[in-house]
Amino acid sequence: MRRASLCVLIVAAAFLYLPLVVLTAFSFNDSALMAFPLSGFTFEWYRELAQNDNFLKGFVTSFLISQPVGILAMLFGLMASLALTAPGFRWRGLFAVLLLIPFLVPKSVLSIAQAMIMSRIGFERGATALILAQSLVALPFATALISAVMVRLDPRLIEAARDLGASPWQAFLRVLLPQIRPALSGAYSVGVILSLADLTIAMFLAGRTQPLSLMVASEFRRELRPDLNAMQVVVLVLTAVLVGLSEAYRRRRLHKLAANA
Amino acid sequence: MMVRQRHLALPVAAAIVAGCLAPLAVLVAFSFYEVEDFDLVPAFSFRAWGELAVSSTDWFLIGKAVLSGLSATVFTAILGYPVALALTRLATSGKGLAIIVLLTPLYTGEIVRIYAWRIVLGGEGLVNTLLQGLGVIDEPLKFLLFSPFTIGLVLTYNNLPYMVLAIWVSAEMVDRRLIEAARDLGARPVDAFFRVIFPLTTPGLAAGSLTVFALAAGEMLTPSLLGGTSGSTAMALVDNLFGTAFDWPLASALALALLATLFLVASAMAGLLLRFKGARAVMGRV
Repeated sequence: MRRASLCVLIVAAAFLYLPLVVLTAFSFNDSALMAFPLSGFTFEWYRELAQNDNFLKGFVTSFLISQPVGILAMLFGLMASLALTAPGFRWRGLFAVLLLIPFLVPKSVLSIAQAMIMSRIGFERGATALILAQSLVALPFATALISAVMVRLDPRLIEAARDLGASPWQAFLRVLLPQIRPALSGAYSVGVILSLADLTIAMFLAGRTQPLSLMVASEFRRELRPDLNAMQVVVLVLTAVLVGLSEAYRRRRLHKLAANA
Repeated sequence: MMVRQRHLALPVAAAIVAGCLAPLAVLVAFSFYEVEDFDLVPAFSFRAWGELAVSSTDWFLIGKAVLSGLSATVFTAILGYPVALALTRLATSGKGLAIIVLLTPLYTGEIVRIYAWRIVLGGEGLVNTLLQGLGVIDEPLKFLLFSPFTIGLVLTYNNLPYMVLAIWVSAEMVDRRLIEAARDLGARPVDAFFRVIFPLTTPGLAAGSLTVFALAAGEMLTPSLLGGTSGSTAMALVDNLFGTAFDWPLASALALALLATLFLVASAMAGLLLRFKGARAVMGRV
């Protein structure tokens, strides 16, 4: 039985990672054609990529957009989670449904509707619009991450702090914040990652801003190029590093908390 | 008045109302507007809705969205159950790692995934080369890329992690002793699954189905970039009406009709799943 479960998991992981592995293989493949069998190892495509100013610009744009998205998703996710776990919040159910809307309404419908309202009120499409829309889409994810940790906390700790004379703000900073810091970093990473992964919202709201995903999409319609493979791999590795860092941070915090307890 | 913790809901609710509900409300308003000389004029006209009502293309595309959402839901559920159940058997330390392994493909860019599948499924891609090398086929399989098959496969791939997560959370809450009792009493593994595990995990299945359906049915990039001639979607048509044709009333009406249809189908689906005896038992306990 154990062995059967392990087999299932290995097959599932293979399916999930197959496209990414093939992509990586071709980014090092010594041929301009993307055809099997592989013909040799080369760094050529990465060198070409490093010399392509357009891609570098797109990369910086994507990065600069993803940072505020991560921060906004984290802050609003924190506020939403605090409200969801607040004692005596009568509208909790309704508020939870409201939080699901950006997740359940298809991104394409939402972005077109946002594009329409923006052009009517004269709000120019561009980086700001993109940041706000992406933060909104990341909000349900961030809230889920933070509130999942907050509901498991012992409420007596906060009560004890308040009874001992801490102001709500002090209780938040000294008691709650240390416990949810890993979740906050997770929420921030999810915001950043969803922003880097997004293409749909960018198609409608980016205006003249050119994030990387949009540049790749327009190249994609024309032809496949090996240096595009290399670029996808770079994006992939950066995302993986981000996930790894935030996971390592989470584990270190958990160890610390466990050691202090 | 003192600011209390629950008041923090206000800025968040305001952001969602301004960013999601207001745009959707504007869609409703625009669907009754008129277009005159490339300008949107406030009116109370049923022109767009009338055109939509009799357009067989529009309804075909809406039906197609529902169909692709439903098929992605069914495929991810069939594949997701074995994976989720296998995950419950891992040791606690393995579960943390499994989450990362499961979620990382979810984090890769939309275009990265689309791009990678094009390489895997192409005429000289991995699958065709492998099958030809093994002598299974002589000519590359044409239906692998730019076909309905591609759309189904990639939509399943994109949404599988969500389904696995939802079923997994539900399966972790099933009392292991119930399954053991069923097995001890002589139930075959298949019976134990259909009569114990499945009914008790329907809330997770319902949550997963709702998520996958909403995400897959509304997707427009995968079909348009990998679907070839079969890649037309309702959302691509909305985009076209919005951008090129400048028919915002019709674009709004079509988007709303799509949204309403998806909402109806999704609630019917979730309602149906939650009517299982097991689901009622689980939900009743909470």
